[in-house]
Amino acid sequence: MAYPTAILDVIGLWTGWVLMLMIYSYPLYKENVAYRFAEHIFVAIFLAINLVVNFTYLMNTCVTPLLGGNLLMVVPLILGILIYTMLIPEYRWVSRYPIALLVGAGFGLGIRGAIKPSILDAIVSTITAPSAGGMMDWVNFLYIAVGLVSSMLYFLLTYEHTGLLQPPTRIGRLFIMIGLGAYFGNTVLFRFTMLTGRAQFFLQVLKIIPM
Amino acid sequence: MSDQNIFDKLQNIDRRVFYWVLFITLMVPFVRPIGLPVKVVQNTRDLYLGITGDNVKPGDIVIMNFGYGVSAWSECAPGFTVCAKALLREGARIVFMGSQYDVELSFNKLKNDAKADFATKEYGVDYVFLGYFTGGESAIAQLATDAWTVYPADHYRTSVSDIPMMQDFHGWQDITLVLSSDTGDVGSYFLRQWQAAHGTKLAEIGIAMNGSTDYPYYLAGNYFGLSIGSRGGAELEVLIGEPGEATTAMDSINASHLLIVLAVIVANVGYLLSRRQA
Amino acid sequence: MSNILKREVVFALTGVVTVLMFVEYFFFPQDWIVTSTIRTWAVIIYNISLGLGGIRLIQQHIMGTQRRRENWQFSALFLVAFVIMFLTGMWGYLGTGVATNNGIYSWLFNNVYTPLGSTAYAITGFYIFSAAYRAFRARNLDAALMLIAGCFVILSNAPVGEVIWSGIPVIGEWFRFVGQVPGMRVFGVVGALGMIAYGFRALLGKERGFYAGGAEE
Repeated sequence: MAYPTAILDVIGLWTGWVLMLMIYSYPLYKENVAYRFAEHIFVAIFLAINLVVNFTYLMNTCVTPLLGGNLLMVVPLILGILIYTMLIPEYRWVSRYPIALLVGAGFGLGIRGAIKPSILDAIVSTITAPSAGGMMDWVNFLYIAVGLVSSMLYFLLTYEHTGLLQPPTRIGRLFIMIGLGAYFGNTVLFRFTMLTGRAQFFLQVLKIIPM
Repeated sequence: MSDQNIFDKLQNIDRRVFYWVLFITLMVPFVRPIGLPVKVVQNTRDLYLGITGDNVKPGDIVIMNFGYGVSAWSECAPGFTVCAKALLREGARIVFMGSQYDVELSFNKLKNDAKADFATKEYGVDYVFLGYFTGGESAIAQLATDAWTVYPADHYRTSVSDIPMMQDFHGWQDITLVLSSDTGDVGSYFLRQWQAAHGTKLAEIGIAMNGSTDYPYYLAGNYFGLSIGSRGGAELEVLIGEPGEATTAMDSINASHLLIVLAVIVANVGYLLSRRQA
Repeated sequence: MSNILKREVVFALTGVVTVLMFVEYFFFPQDWIVTSTIRTWAVIIYNISLGLGGIRLIQQHIMGTQRRRENWQFSALFLVAFVIMFLTGMWGYLGTGVATNNGIYSWLFNNVYTPLGSTAYAITGFYIFSAAYRAFRARNLDAALMLIAGCFVILSNAPVGEVIWSGIPVIGEWFRFVGQVPGMRVFGVVGALGMIAYGFRALLGKERGFYAGGAEE
């Protein structure tokens, strides 16, 4: 994307740059009016986009088919509107019906879908020994197997982690710590990449680097 | 004694100094790029191989899910762009969709970044942008059952019955593979409702944090490939032979990562020294 | 009767829908019109419910502006920005079918929302840096392991790790592709088991937290 030349686009680019600095004035300086200004603008615009986009989707998926002859679509429309009874204290209980449908569908889909990849496939993968490979493959296999079993014991909360349970749960905790450390390392990549994008934008608008 | 005083002073430094040091450190490599080579790891290679060559035939329909918004463009967009380019070059037909409110912006950015590849393709025949969807896991499950009920029209309000490509896409059985690029849960919905339920090939082009949680699924064979964060995006750019945004960002990533490790080491050295003194 | 309608029927409805999803998965390899319809309805209800939070927020800001609470000017600013964005978006949608066809909406979307959205989320990068410096200490074996794994993964994620020492990517990749697997896998397994347990508790009516006013009546 080249540096824009149209006046509105250039104004837009600099507007974004200034708004970015307003937001960053909070960590880089201290909380101030400019930060509050930008923060409120962001939340307002985000909310408006939320409502516009969702309204558009509702029209596409429900209202247009309803007006096209699919009369069954009046049911979810009414149920959806009933959710807003949550705002009226004496009729709040009515909103439980659409929520019940949502929760039921969510649980049913989630539970039936989670069994295979999260439990069965995970266990099969853990206990499947390497068919070929050197010493390191076997070390890794044993590491993962012992690690998973001991980590799962750590989450066994029905019994206190004393006596016979103490050594494996202690080892399990160490495996979890390693996992969390690696997770932290990946989190750093994620957060810094986002910040890198902003640093790049900062320089591009000033034309220090090409766009 | 004086070394410990330095460490004590460093412990109490104003956090704003860190923020400025970090911000400047991120900017310097853009002005003075270094360009260290990026090594490609197996999970990224498997992803690229899974969407090229014999694994994708001309005319195959592929879903590409924009599970990321503008905030994660630098993390997910480069890898997503490479995958879109690769699939378009293989002659696959792509269904673009997304759960973020700004999915249109992400799609426009993709079209801009892969302009040359999109220029030879026809909308509605080679690719379609269905736009925003909501409904969480129910929507993804329903997409597998009857896609037209989740998307009666595309983003531009053209009825799917009027889109040539959509005549061949009604449910999971019409899809060759799914690529999901996520900051949140949509990839896991595809995992549960498409891959686990119907065996659809699935790969993730996710943020780095998702790389940690998704890697066990890749090892178990639920994902055929996995691109982890901007590093994965840079690896994909190496594989396709076209350096892009992720490769450019790697220098800045190098500097910032080195900085944080040095900061952690300095902080811990100071801590251990002060503990020993105590 | 009133209590039955407010509680028992609600739990029964949740249970019936959940069981229908299971029945479809295990007994109907092809699509089942009943569950397909329920899912379509769930998508639409979910869509409509997303406006609830927005209404609450707008209510708060209207009250803040009316009652001249502290910083009410920002509430007024919020309302003005919201109204402009919402009206231009609806104007674009109702006029052309696509909201971004309205010039003002599109301009605000591209030049205000995009940079603010990117910036607001990226701000956490600063905090993670200062948190790592101030709080990440090898106080005991657990923390030391976490620290070592974290540092090797950080350096192996960046190409510079290999330049510093050829062993860094080797060890870092081991942590990324083997070391973290038990810890991360157990979260998936335990999370799935927990979801199943929680789901059955909800079916039996023992979990009422997600029903509005569940603690009352």
